[in-house]
Amino acid sequence: MKTRSSLRLRFRLKENGRETRWWRPAFCIAVILGFSLNLDLVFAEGPSLADRVIEHKLANGLTVLMVERHQTPVVSINITFGVGGVNEQVGQTGLAHLYEHMAFKGTRTVGTKDFDKEKLTLDELSRVGTLLDQRQRELAKKSSAVTPDEQAALDALQKQVTDLQAQAGQYVVGNEMALLYQRHGGVGLNASTGKDLTRYTINLPANRLPVWAAIEADRMANPVLREFYKERGVVMEERRLRNDDSPNGLLFETFTSAAFRAHPYGVPTIGWGSDILSLTPAATEAFFKTYYGPNNATIALVGDINPKEVIVLIERTFGKIPAASATPEIMTVEPEQRGERRVEVEFDAEPIVAIGYHKPGLGHPDDDVFDVIDEILTDGLTSRLQTILVREKRLAASVGSDANYPGVRAPNLFILTATPLAPHTTVEVEAAIYAELERLKTEPVPAKELQKIVNNLDADLVRALRSNSGLASQLALFQTVAGDWRHVLKSRDRIAAVTPADIQRIARQYFTKSNRTVGTLVKHAREKNLTAGNEVAR
Amino acid sequence: MNGAGIERQGTRGAGVLGFFGVAVLLTCSVTTACAGGPSMSDPRTMTFKPVEFTPPEPNRVVLDNGMVVYLLEDHELPLITVTATMKTGTWLDPADKIGLASLTGALMRTGGGGGLTPEQVDEELEHFAGDVSVSIGHESGSASLDVLKKDLKRGLQIFSGLLRTPAFEPARVEIAKLQALEGIRRRQDNPGSVVGREFMKLLYGPEHPSARETSIASISGITRADLAAFHRNTIHPNGIILGVTGDFKTADMLAALREVFGDWAKGAVPELKIADVPESQSATPAIRFVDKETSQTHMRVGHLTIRENDPDYVALAIANDILGGSSFRSRLFNDVRTKRGLAYSVGSRLMAGVHDQGVWLMRAETKLVSTQEVVSRFIANIERMRTELVTDQELAEAKEAYVNSFVFSFSSPSAIVSRLVELENDGLPKDFLQQVREKVVKLTKEDVLAAAKKHLHPDRLKIIAVGSGDALPKVLSTFGEVKEIKLSPEG
Repeated sequence: MKTRSSLRLRFRLKENGRETRWWRPAFCIAVILGFSLNLDLVFAEGPSLADRVIEHKLANGLTVLMVERHQTPVVSINITFGVGGVNEQVGQTGLAHLYEHMAFKGTRTVGTKDFDKEKLTLDELSRVGTLLDQRQRELAKKSSAVTPDEQAALDALQKQVTDLQAQAGQYVVGNEMALLYQRHGGVGLNASTGKDLTRYTINLPANRLPVWAAIEADRMANPVLREFYKERGVVMEERRLRNDDSPNGLLFETFTSAAFRAHPYGVPTIGWGSDILSLTPAATEAFFKTYYGPNNATIALVGDINPKEVIVLIERTFGKIPAASATPEIMTVEPEQRGERRVEVEFDAEPIVAIGYHKPGLGHPDDDVFDVIDEILTDGLTSRLQTILVREKRLAASVGSDANYPGVRAPNLFILTATPLAPHTTVEVEAAIYAELERLKTEPVPAKELQKIVNNLDADLVRALRSNSGLASQLALFQTVAGDWRHVLKSRDRIAAVTPADIQRIARQYFTKSNRTVGTLVKHAREKNLTAGNEVAR
Repeated sequence: MNGAGIERQGTRGAGVLGFFGVAVLLTCSVTTACAGGPSMSDPRTMTFKPVEFTPPEPNRVVLDNGMVVYLLEDHELPLITVTATMKTGTWLDPADKIGLASLTGALMRTGGGGGLTPEQVDEELEHFAGDVSVSIGHESGSASLDVLKKDLKRGLQIFSGLLRTPAFEPARVEIAKLQALEGIRRRQDNPGSVVGREFMKLLYGPEHPSARETSIASISGITRADLAAFHRNTIHPNGIILGVTGDFKTADMLAALREVFGDWAKGAVPELKIADVPESQSATPAIRFVDKETSQTHMRVGHLTIRENDPDYVALAIANDILGGSSFRSRLFNDVRTKRGLAYSVGSRLMAGVHDQGVWLMRAETKLVSTQEVVSRFIANIERMRTELVTDQELAEAKEAYVNSFVFSFSSPSAIVSRLVELENDGLPKDFLQQVREKVVKLTKEDVLAAAKKHLHPDRLKIIAVGSGDALPKVLSTFGEVKEIKLSPEG
């Protein structure tokens, strides 16, 4: 699962049930970069990163981070909002991700031929569409058969929605925002939604920054939720693709919701199917107004830029957007787990096991120790689980771990995953993993093993700087989750300071049976039972 | 990373390529005039000067034993990367030992070599955070070394040892075989994997080198001696092109490379030849389904097509770009996803290699009840490409996206070098991509229509769908005779 080439120390944003994106290149697997940075070593022969990052804060609260790199006349831009799946209410799961899709539909100028006329139709479509959803839910709950009158009323509503969609469609300039970016040479246009963050990315020839600023300031201020019901259908197909038809996707959805009983980390970011089908334009608009203010956003730009000019450009465009109210606080804290939880998912696929332990989130001193344990257990061919489970005992075909699943801000999970090597079973693999966790409690980790981790961290920190988009991503990430991009500057030293005794203490405290959730994918071809759910054509 | 959907598929599985070359002068945007200052607020009317950029030119050196080396210094970070592209490939697998080449590649990395045990290699590399990879793909092998500058010497010793004298340590061979068998067991778990592999078998035939698959018997029959022989017979310095980028001085690097590779003797390099599929087979349409319990129908629709060195390649590439290759700008994305809301991932792709017949395909995943509509839209959109001229706007946008995203082809020294390596490995001229660019700029609507008419064949479509065995065949039967593919129980 994890290989040397994908080694990432902190805050790996794996796609595994973690992020959903607006668009997946139809034929490549999107790679989400995740790494952390350190300073002195990085630019040992030049100014340190700390000296190279230029910060600017607008009066409306928008944070701008910039790094100049002049090798090629291009720039990578990452806009990160402090909003994600955790900000959704019960019954509206998937809203953060649906909004991210809708953010590509344009504004009052981009994507429309005549917004004033379009708006009248869109308002009516929203009203009738919401009514139709409601009727459909009512009829689905009925114990008796749907009467001809009820069906006729439903069909009439459906026709009204279809007609309104056609009417609204006359004003639409399809995908105009994306088209503008492409025409100006933009590549890598995408967005992703996670538990804590929603991110929008683009790479452009550096002299096209004015196009970017005009488009992005406009969509931060004036997005228009056009083609709403069609996009909801797209998201349903995305859910089927990622979660329903993917053994890993469905296992992790089930496993995560078993591990979290109260905190919204337990809810799949893409949303439950029934919730997605009930999301309304009104709720989506309200979500935007609450969470998409400039004060909840960080923009990172890395590349061939002149920071002074960029600041002028951003002030002139984004600077006009008023600040929004502070975002609502998340009250729920996951209660202590009091006993092992085990879940199974039956699927027409070979077995997989996922094991998770509750642990603290970002900022807690214990958090760094889990990063070290993560490396000891599964990073590289010489890691302990790779050596023992895969090579020596030949129990598993692959093993992996993640110290911050499924989000980073709130208390989260340390997870381990493995695919058994037949004829061995998940039971055997589990037992072997627990034996290694026990060893962490009883035997101090040798100094050489810890040194290897620090060496790799240092090298990764240098490698991280190869990519404009990777650096932009990291700066915006840490600014958003930790409130200060410099948070990362301290992480390397904290990790280097972890002692064998720390590891033993943490292992004893957290790797207990009662703090554990185990999810298993069990091979089973169910009876044929194929339905499209309650979804109807829109 | 290319705004326009033209890609090179030199080595199958290789990434998207753009251009390389000397000065890149981006022309004025095609749909808007350059005259007049940019509008200050409306992104739809802004215009810009072309991006001017002269990418650095790598050095090309040939060692006495025929090994070709491209070098480009880059002193920004204290890192060095060496890649090796090797003229070998899974196309060389003997019919009864499918999987041999790919196991050889895996074992060159994990089986020790250069006098070191596997454990010594792994320990040492990981202690100084050196990354080494080796793999053998369809038409070539590739290896890479990525180290901090301070570790170059030791890194090169280990790297060259693995390439030249891999040890194929028996325990590691056994593990790799077990893992390959587990891979067979698991390859039907994801519908996306099933539909992709079955589509290739339908296009090329199940025995063709471009589609054939490993089996429990083929993997079980491979011995350590087979691996050693495959390495000995196919990997030679005169079949390798190195690409070196990073923080070094060229003269020092050449001396270091000569030290580890210079006394490696030449050998007989296999000449890449892959047989064409008989016309009788490629011209016949077919509809197949695979019964698997899924919530969506996973589909591929397409046929074999021209190679990259065909005179029609550029026109067809732009036709494909407009049809479905350019994501959000394309007709399929707008029609099937944006307007109808029927799929998340939808588009078309032209994979025109040099050595093997190309593949052109459309794909989508959609719920069962909208399967028929999506297939109908696929067919309707091909028909439209074949019968109507594309609009002026579509062609202009395709050209503009291509020309303006040009600069991203030079986004790093390693990108510049790897492009040159791939072109040389494929026997294409160094300015191949500049030639493509010139053709793109000159292309007319009539050229695009002519290419679509000549090379997109609705009467030859191979359609494959994975989904419900009860309902899916009925849906598909409206497009022709449907047959079932039964998945092998072994995986």
